[in-house]
Amino acid sequence: MNKKILALLLAALLTLAACCAMAESTSVSITDMYGREVTLDAPATRIVALTAADCEILCALGCEETLVGRGAYCDYPESILDVPVVQSGAETNIEEILALEPQVVLMSDMAQSQELVNLLEENGVRVVISNADDIAGVYTAIRMIGALMGRGEAAEALVGDMQATFDGIAAKSESTGKTVYFEVSPLEWGLWTAGSRTFMDELAAMCGLTNAFADVEGWAPISEEQVLERNPDYIVTITMYYGEGPTPVEEIMGRAGWQSLTAVQAGSVYNADSNAISRPGPRLKDAAIELFDFVNGEAQEEAPAA
Amino acid sequence: MKSKSDRLSPGALALLVLVLAGAMLLCICVGSVSISPADTLRVLLCALLRRPMPEGVSANIILNVRLPRVVNVALVGAALSLCGAAMQGLLRNPLADGSTLGVSSGASLGAVLALALDVTLPGTAFGGTMLLAMIFAFLSLMLILALAYALDRSLATNSIILIGVIFSMFASSVMSLIISFSGDKLRSITFWTMGSLSGTGFAHARVLAAALLVCGAVVLAHARELNAMAIGEDDARHVGVNVRRVKLTLMIAVSVLIGVCVSVGGTIGFVGLVVPHMARMIVGPNHGRLLPASMLAGAIFLLLCDLIARTLLRPIELSIGVVTSLVGAVAFVLIFYRTRRAARC
Repeated sequence: MNKKILALLLAALLTLAACCAMAESTSVSITDMYGREVTLDAPATRIVALTAADCEILCALGCEETLVGRGAYCDYPESILDVPVVQSGAETNIEEILALEPQVVLMSDMAQSQELVNLLEENGVRVVISNADDIAGVYTAIRMIGALMGRGEAAEALVGDMQATFDGIAAKSESTGKTVYFEVSPLEWGLWTAGSRTFMDELAAMCGLTNAFADVEGWAPISEEQVLERNPDYIVTITMYYGEGPTPVEEIMGRAGWQSLTAVQAGSVYNADSNAISRPGPRLKDAAIELFDFVNGEAQEEAPAA
Repeated sequence: MKSKSDRLSPGALALLVLVLAGAMLLCICVGSVSISPADTLRVLLCALLRRPMPEGVSANIILNVRLPRVVNVALVGAALSLCGAAMQGLLRNPLADGSTLGVSSGASLGAVLALALDVTLPGTAFGGTMLLAMIFAFLSLMLILALAYALDRSLATNSIILIGVIFSMFASSVMSLIISFSGDKLRSITFWTMGSLSGTGFAHARVLAAALLVCGAVVLAHARELNAMAIGEDDARHVGVNVRRVKLTLMIAVSVLIGVCVSVGGTIGFVGLVVPHMARMIVGPNHGRLLPASMLAGAIFLLLCDLIARTLLRPIELSIGVVTSLVGAVAFVLIFYRTRRAARC
């Protein structure tokens, strides 16, 4: 009798323990975009995000309160501007990061060294590297960060939302053979464009446009006369306007020799939100809508609110 | 024969002018976009005779993009080379040039400062940048010479260059500092500091031409004094040269020219170093011949470098500073090696 009760009790205890263990088994294990395995006992709660895009993804997943430090270029959403700033890129300062006692540092592979990663890991900080150079890569980054934060569902929802927007735009656009020229740096400082294998190129294709500089890979300095000869139907500049002198659009419309361009004559010159269109983050969706509206003559004066 | 030794012979002058004209024509004909020479000439002729333009894009590209650029490149090349020749004569230093002495870096620093602090001259588009670039070029030159003089009273070749290089590094660090403090607005300047004449128009050409006309005339008028100083400052004084005044005048002229060039096209290194040496090999060391020859040769040299920059990787455009530095660095080593060996013998 006693033995039976004991056995029952033991069984109950074991079940309880198993339940507890299952409840506690919240460890997350991810493979970052550099192929490194990162395992945490629980979803991360203290994060330093060095790149603006990772920071935007984190916030879009509703994890804003976990952000304890942000890279120098992380400026969206505005509510994170109170979070302490750390140097990023080539000036990354490890002491600054360690002082914030993060569990995880999110960074991209740009301008970062293996030594820095090792040093952070030796100091007990896990490093997760994102490395998206196309929209598919952004989805991977979102899912990775979602898993890291225990926000898998939110990540799937975000990816689904982006995908639906992109598919919707692609479905509404037909390939017209019209060309678009993306201006990344204005004439004054030497023209740069975004060629193939860039987000701008992908968004152009989505809107049924051909990138006028598809033969150039990535961001590259190009000759002014090439723009004149290729005579794009649309011009999209991502130059920032600082509120003095002519706006980037006015400056392009007023350039000597550019008056004969189809885009200039038709007034098809647009100043896009440079951060939304160039960061591998969730706002690529907004950039796509913006570009679609511009191409279809519905461009607003200001970027649509996110 | 006296006149011949002090002035460029008409034959040599004609030859250089012809080559320059040829180079300009070549640079207008050949570019990132291919336009046949016949079409190019037709467009140029029509523009000259104010006839209606032939149809097509080519007229636009030639008249609005290539022509102003070619003119600017030629003017900057002439100005920088003249500065190099004058400084080499003035300091009796074969390695002197705006870029090796740090004057160009000083001018860039001034230009960046003007952009960061929004220094503008009312009624001009780039007056503020230009003015600060000139002032900083002059101050840099003064500072470098003062430091070199304190270090070594004979102003030996190596000590001036050493201080020039140190000053260049210092100026670039301060520039990086300003750029990182002033945020997004100045980030694009990083491209520009490499040197680029793309997008420069006739407004720039007018300023460059005016500066070259005035300062060039001042420098050319001092050819005799430069000849006298080449023998030595004391000797120059003995033959009646007011050394102090000549030095100051020339330094101001050189600073103004470098300041204008830098504010238009960024730092374009080594032109002023290499070209006077090439010119010296052809016309000899007499400044009466060397200075005009350097100007013409400088224009030709920079035109060809720009042609390479524009066409080598088309549609991508290289920075002109990259091309001149590649050529210039090799020339620098050769000249340095030769002067050191000559000094040892």
